[in-house]
Amino acid sequence: MTPALPASGPLGPQASAAAPRRRSLSGPALAAWLLLAPWLILFALFVLWPLGEAARLAVLQTFGPSATNFVGGRNFSALFADPLFWIAVRNTAIYAATSVLIQLPLALGLAMLLNRPDVRARAAFRLIFFSPSLVGVVYVAMIFGIMFEKRTGLINRALHSTIGWDLEYPWLQNAIMAALVIASLWQWVGFNMVYFLAALQNVRQDLMEAARIDGAGPWARFRLVTLPAIRPVAGFVVLLSVIGSFQLFELPYLMLNSSAGPENRGLTIVMYLYQTGFEIGDLGYASAIGWVLAVLLVVCAVAQRLLSRGEEDAA
Amino acid sequence: MTRSVSNSRTAAFVGVHGLLLIAAALMLTPFVWLLCAAFKLNEDVVASTFLPLNPEGFLGVAWNRLTVIHFRTLLGSLGLGRAALISVFLSATTAALATLLCAAAGYALAKLQFRGRTWAAALVLAAVTIPGPLLLAPSYTVLYQISLLDSYWGLILPAAAPAFGVFLFRQAMTSSVPDQLLEAARIDGCSELRLFSLIALPLVRPMVGAFMLITFLGAWTNYIGPQIVLQTPAKFPLAVFIAQLKGTYYQDYGLLMAATLVSIIPVLGLFLLLQREFISGLTSGAVKG
Amino acid sequence: MATQTPDAHVPSSAAAGSGPAGHASDGGVRARLTRAVDLLPFSFGGLLICALAVVSGVMVAANPAPRSSGPELWTFARLHHEMYEPIIRQWNAGEADPSRHLTPLLLSMPALERRMLSGFLSGMPTAELLEVERRVAARAFVGPVDSVGFVDLTERLRADGLLDRINAPSFSPWSSRGRIFGIPHDVHPVMLGYRADIVEAAGIDVSKIHTWEDFAREMAPLMVDKDGDGKSDRWLINFWPSQSDLIEVLLLQAGGGYFDEAGVPTVNSEANARVLATLVTWCVGEPYPKGKRIAGDAPDFSASGNALKLEGYVVSALMPDWMCNIWRNEIPQLAGKVKLMPLPAWPKPLPSQRRTSVWGGTMLGIARTAKDVDAMYEVAKRLYLSDDLARTLYTVGDIITPVRDHWSDPIFDKPDPFFSGQPKGRMYIDLAGDVPARSSSPYYILAQARVQDALLSLKDHAERRLPVTVEDLLPEARQLLENAQRAVLVQMRRNTFVDLPAGLDAPTEPQRGAAQ
Repeated sequence: MTPALPASGPLGPQASAAAPRRRSLSGPALAAWLLLAPWLILFALFVLWPLGEAARLAVLQTFGPSATNFVGGRNFSALFADPLFWIAVRNTAIYAATSVLIQLPLALGLAMLLNRPDVRARAAFRLIFFSPSLVGVVYVAMIFGIMFEKRTGLINRALHSTIGWDLEYPWLQNAIMAALVIASLWQWVGFNMVYFLAALQNVRQDLMEAARIDGAGPWARFRLVTLPAIRPVAGFVVLLSVIGSFQLFELPYLMLNSSAGPENRGLTIVMYLYQTGFEIGDLGYASAIGWVLAVLLVVCAVAQRLLSRGEEDAA
Repeated sequence: MTRSVSNSRTAAFVGVHGLLLIAAALMLTPFVWLLCAAFKLNEDVVASTFLPLNPEGFLGVAWNRLTVIHFRTLLGSLGLGRAALISVFLSATTAALATLLCAAAGYALAKLQFRGRTWAAALVLAAVTIPGPLLLAPSYTVLYQISLLDSYWGLILPAAAPAFGVFLFRQAMTSSVPDQLLEAARIDGCSELRLFSLIALPLVRPMVGAFMLITFLGAWTNYIGPQIVLQTPAKFPLAVFIAQLKGTYYQDYGLLMAATLVSIIPVLGLFLLLQREFISGLTSGAVKG
Repeated sequence: MATQTPDAHVPSSAAAGSGPAGHASDGGVRARLTRAVDLLPFSFGGLLICALAVVSGVMVAANPAPRSSGPELWTFARLHHEMYEPIIRQWNAGEADPSRHLTPLLLSMPALERRMLSGFLSGMPTAELLEVERRVAARAFVGPVDSVGFVDLTERLRADGLLDRINAPSFSPWSSRGRIFGIPHDVHPVMLGYRADIVEAAGIDVSKIHTWEDFAREMAPLMVDKDGDGKSDRWLINFWPSQSDLIEVLLLQAGGGYFDEAGVPTVNSEANARVLATLVTWCVGEPYPKGKRIAGDAPDFSASGNALKLEGYVVSALMPDWMCNIWRNEIPQLAGKVKLMPLPAWPKPLPSQRRTSVWGGTMLGIARTAKDVDAMYEVAKRLYLSDDLARTLYTVGDIITPVRDHWSDPIFDKPDPFFSGQPKGRMYIDLAGDVPARSSSPYYILAQARVQDALLSLKDHAERRLPVTVEDLLPEARQLLENAQRAVLVQMRRNTFVDLPAGLDAPTEPQRGAAQ
C-alpha cells in the first residue's frame, strides 16, 4: 500500500539513513542483503525459476520431453477465440463481484454489531464467526456438497419446511455460482469480519460523539466518521478478496466432482487452466491461461492502488 | 425521557443480540451437522439429517445408534496418528521458517537503506499477484531437478518464501518500528542483526503471531501440494490421508466426517491461543503506515 | 492511519499502540531496549509453534518412512491393493534380489492421475506399473503415438495369445492408433438392477420387457403421488442429465457414442440425436402414460442418492458389475430386495438392439521409464490373468474377469443372496461378448461434457414446449449436437501432434449457438 519509501516526510527516512551511512558505509546495506538473502534464494528457486519455465511453455505445444512444437502466439490467439475461456472469465468475474458485494458488507455488518460496547460474549461470537476459516477448503467442499443435495440436503430440507421451497431444487446444477458464493461466504465472512473489527478500532470515538451531538443520523455517522476510518483496511480487504476470488478452483472442483458442472456453469479460470494442463495435458495452453490471469490480477492491484491514492489526494 | 432512552437501548440490545444469535446459529449449523455425522453409522448419515431419531430415546434421539467406531478405526488400523504428526511437523516448520524469513526480508525492505531496495520492493509487490496455479506444473519440474520430490522439504521450502508475507511484514515494520529507536540503538553500538532480532521483531509481535497462524493454517489444509510432491503413503499428512479415505467407488461418510473433525480440532485450539495477536496482527498488516 | 507530518521531531511512522513517540535520551533508549528484550519476539502461541516444529521434527526424523528401492505399483482402489498383496508377496519371495521387489502403493485417483501425467509430461520416473481408470489412461494418448508414457504391449499380447483369450471389447479403451498400451482388468457389462420387492408386489412381469418402450409401459403403474403434492414420488429409472456417465452408457448401448475407431468425433451422429431426444422425454412432463416421463434423479456415489434408492424413489438403475459391490456396501438394507435383468433394448431405427452396455474400466500399464519391462510384464500377467485372481475379483469385488478361459468357473453360478439368489456372475458373463467398444480418445472427457450440455439445453427447450415427442425434439437435438461436435473439433485442431482425417481438418464456420 505504501510506496517503496516508508515515510514521505522530507526529513524522515533520509535524515535517519544518512547518519549510519557516515559511520559505516556498508553496515545497513550488508545487513539488508543478509536479511533478504534466505527469502530471496527460496523465492528465486520456487517462484522465478518456475515462472521462467511457464513463460517458455506459453509459446510451445508440448507432450512429454520428446514432443515439442513451437507455436508462437497461437496459444494466446486460440485462447482469445475460445468460448470456454470467456465462459470461465465471466463466471469468475461474477463470483468475484458477488463475493465482494455480498460477503464484505456482511462482514462489516457483523463487525459493527460485535463492536458495540454493550455486546455480551463478544469473544464467543468472534470465535464462532471466525472458526469456519480454520476448516480447509477440502472439507468445506465435502460438507457443502452434501448439504446442497436435493431432497436429502440440509439446505433444501430447511427451506422446504420453512418457506415451502422446492425440495428437488438442484443447486449444484442450476445455481452453482450461488452455491459457491454461499459456501465461501460461510468460510470467509468471519475472517474478513476480523479485519473490519480491527479497523473499527481506528474510529475516533470523540468524532463519533461530536457527530452525534451535531444530530447526524446513523447513516451519516457511518458515512462521515466510520467509513473514512476503515477505508485503508477496506481497500486492502477488497483487493485480497478479488485476488482470492480470481483464483477460485478447489471449491467448485471438489464440490462438482472434478467437473465444471452442467453447461460449464461452474467453470472458473483456474479450473480451465487445470483442465487443459492436467486433464488434457496441454501445458502450453494452460500457461497461456495462467499469464492472462496474472495480467488480470496485476490490473486489479494497480487499479486498487490508484483508487486508494486518488481518495487520499481527494481527502 | 430517560425511560424512552433506556427503552430504545433495551430494544437495540435485544435486536443486536438477536441478529448475532441468528448469524451464530447459521454459522454453527454445518459444524453441528459434521459433529453428528462423525458419530453416526454410515446408513444413519444418509437416513437422518442430524441425530438419528427414536421417539422412545432421551430427547427423542436414538443414542444407541451413535458410535465412536470411526475414531477407533482412524487411530487404530488406519494410522491417523502418524498422519497427524506429519501434519504438525509440516505446518509448524513451515510457519516458523516462513515467519522468520518474511520478517527478515520485510524489515530489510522497510527499515534499511540499500541499493536495489526499490527494485526488491517492486518485486515483492508484483509477486503478490502471481497466481499460484500458473506455477503448478513448472514447480514439479523444479522440485525434480533439485531432488526434492517425495521429501518434506519439497513442501516446506517452497511454502517458506511467500511474497505476501514480506509484504505484510514490511507494512508492520513500517508502522510499528520507529526509526528513532533504531537510530538510537545504532548509536549505542547495536549491530544490525541484533537490531532486527531484539528490537524490530518484538515490536511486530502481533504480526508474528498472525502470520504464523496464517501459514500454519495454509500448510495444514494444503491438499494439492502434498498430493503432487509426496509419493510414499507413510509420508502423507492429514489432508491427503483423508482424501485417500474417500474411495473412488465407496464412501464411508461417517469415517470421513470423523477424520475431518479430528483435523479441525488442533487448528481451533491454536487459534484460541493466538487469537489476540492474530487480530491485532492483521490490522498492522492491513493498515498503511 | 498515522497522518504524515513534515515535523522531524515526531516519528513519521509511529503507529498507535506501539512504539512511543518523541526523541529519546540515551538513558531512555537503554530502558526501552531492556523492555524490548524482555518482550520475546514470540508470544506463547508462537513459541508453541516453534516448539512443535522441533519436537515433531525429531519425532518424524526418528521414524523415517520406509522407502522402497525397487519397482512400484500404483493403484487407486483399496480393494485391488488388498487383492494384489498376497500375489505380490509370492512374487517377491521368488526374487532373491531385494532391489527387484515390487511395492504396491495405494493412491487416491486424482493423486495418481496428477503424478502419472506429471511424470509422462516431464519424462520423470513414475511407478513401473500403473493401474489406471479409463479417464486417466486416455490422458496418456494426447501426443504422438511413440511418446505415450506406457509401453506398447501389442506384440507381447499377440505372442502370448492373449489377444484371443481376452474379451475383445475390453481392449478398446487402452488402444490408441492401433496399438495396445495396457492389460484389461475387466469387462463391466451393464444390466438393469430393479427393486424386485416393489415390482413384484405390484404384479409386474419383467419377462414382458424387451425394449425401453415396454419398460415404460409395464412399469408405469408404479409411479404414484403418495404425499399428494401433485408430483410422483416414485420414478421408474435413475437417470438425469446431470449424471453424465449414464448418458454415455445409454448412447453406447444404442450404437451411438462420441468417437469412431479412428478417434474421429461422431458426436453429431443421428443415433446420438435420437437417444438424446428420447432421454429428454424421460425427464420432462407428466409421468407415463399421460406423458413420457419415467426418470428420477438419485445420483450414484452420494449419500442422498443412496437414501433415495433405499426409499424407492427410483425403481431401477443401470448396474455394471462393479456397481453391485457399491450397493452391497453402501445400501446393505436392500439385500434380497433387488434383482438384475438385461437392459431393455433401444428400438429401431437405432443401430444396435443389444441388451447391455459398458461403464468404467481399468487397466494395468507399464511405464516407459520402467527398468525391466519384461519382469514387469510377467508380474502384470500374474496379477491380472490368474484364475485365483479372477475368483477373488468376483467374490470380493463382484467384477467379472475379461479372461474368457475363466468364465467356466462354477463360482459365477453361485446364487447371490443380495440379488435375491440370482446367479449374477453368469448373467453378466452371458452379456460380456455383446459389450460395445469404447473410445480411448483423450478428448472423450471433453466430448462427454459437450454432449451433456446439449442434453441439458434440449431439456430446457423441451420444457418450454410441453408436451413433446421424440420426433418433435429431433431437429433441435441434431443442431445442438452439431454445435457440440464443432466445439470438440476446435479443441482437437489445436493439437499439432495428431493428424485428423482429411475433411475434418478444414475449419468450418461456426453456426448458431456455437459458443455452447
